[in-house]
Amino acid sequence: MKLLHTKLPEFIKKMQVAAAEQGNVPKEIEIKGLENLRSAKMQSLRTGRIEHAVGEVAALENVEKLELIMIPRVPETMQTVIVKGIDKDGKCAKAVLEIVNVLHPTEEAYLLDCEPENIDDRRPAIGNH
Amino acid sequence: MAQLKYKMIPEGMLNGKLVPLNIVLIDLKDVKACGLEPKQAFDLVASTIDGPAGLNIIDLDACSTTSDGVVVKGAIMRMAASDRGRINKDFGYLEMKPLGYYGDEEIAQEPHLKVWKEVYPGTELYMGPDFTKKIIPVHNVVITGRASNNNSATEMMNIVTMEEILLPVLGQISILKGENVLMGRTGEVISVGIGMVVPEWYARIIPKRQYRCGDTAHGSGEYAKTLKKDIPIICGTKATLAKNTITALECGLVPGRTIGGSPAVLTIAKYLHKEIAYDNITERAYEELASVGLTKEWMETELPLLTPEEIIARADELIPGCEDYKEYKADEIAQTRYVEC
Repeated sequence: MKLLHTKLPEFIKKMQVAAAEQGNVPKEIEIKGLENLRSAKMQSLRTGRIEHAVGEVAALENVEKLELIMIPRVPETMQTVIVKGIDKDGKCAKAVLEIVNVLHPTEEAYLLDCEPENIDDRRPAIGNH
Repeated sequence: MAQLKYKMIPEGMLNGKLVPLNIVLIDLKDVKACGLEPKQAFDLVASTIDGPAGLNIIDLDACSTTSDGVVVKGAIMRMAASDRGRINKDFGYLEMKPLGYYGDEEIAQEPHLKVWKEVYPGTELYMGPDFTKKIIPVHNVVITGRASNNNSATEMMNIVTMEEILLPVLGQISILKGENVLMGRTGEVISVGIGMVVPEWYARIIPKRQYRCGDTAHGSGEYAKTLKKDIPIICGTKATLAKNTITALECGLVPGRTIGGSPAVLTIAKYLHKEIAYDNITERAYEELASVGLTKEWMETELPLLTPEEIIARADELIPGCEDYKEYKADEIAQTRYVEC
């Protein structure tokens, strides 16, 4: 069942390994955008492709280190907000559910220093795997 | 070679306030004169701007509405956001839905549009985009990189610095028409007023007729006056606002029932001694209005009867909203630029 979804720690490990093994020297990869995730299952199909991309970039001789930045594909996310009141025993005495919609910068904001011809956009159309 | 003319408010300081990104306004007539499609015009102008930009195309012959339901002549019909000269292909461009087909059935549901039908017959009507066709789920927003152009092109932001500017539709129209505008800070009155919306199926800000007239979209009591109170704003002059609001009231609209009960609309209605639907204004809307001085006691106070001409002439003194502002000529605030096409 390895083809279904990848565990979050396993995802991170895979990227670190790809960065370390695919170049002529081991290279570091800084992973950003996962800080708020505590438990998550990552789409395996894309995990393999990202692993491949990390290895490919790590193999470039003019690359010294890597960054992997994860941002929302659709730049408005709809969040549920849970407001909890905890009693003296640590039990939730009252909760209010709310929502907040969040606007995010798109990928261009992270690629200001990259020439367009060096960007290889392999993303499928929105809604596709 | 032809040149496309456009107006630009460059990123930077103005009247001591920050314009957080480049703001581009293009007259649809100039786009057509160059034989361009709107998206081509956006791409051309965007290609000349290195930093983040919000870009709008305005049809000065069409109509639109303000958030409180005042019909205005002039409508934003396309919106875009660009960064480093490019427009994001998925999220950087949106089209407003043409609503000129609206008839009696729609106007019964959105009665403030009576003004469009009676005062501006035969014109096109635009408010927001078709929400069934856009990809971004909730906001009527376009985003490219750092640049965000939101609420159907009346609120622009740099999402990285998180600085914002409000651009109510009358200000944008005034700039393209060469009329004066105000540049200031929103303040508490505008913060509350923005919440007093009207039901519109394809609204610029809150579609699907989610809030009835007389209610508040904020619904946050004392906090409503703080939500948008410290934001730079470029808007039409108070005289321009007064003219358009008086047209709506003279057409028979009633604040709180068929047009939004915002502080500006309520104030003008009271000076004209027009009917106000006090019973239709919700308690939570009253609470927000009271927080900026429009208490129930104020509602019951009779203001001196003034003529429309007197209200327009004394608009700065009479109509609340916008703080620390200065009046500018259109060409003092926006540069006229050209791009080869």
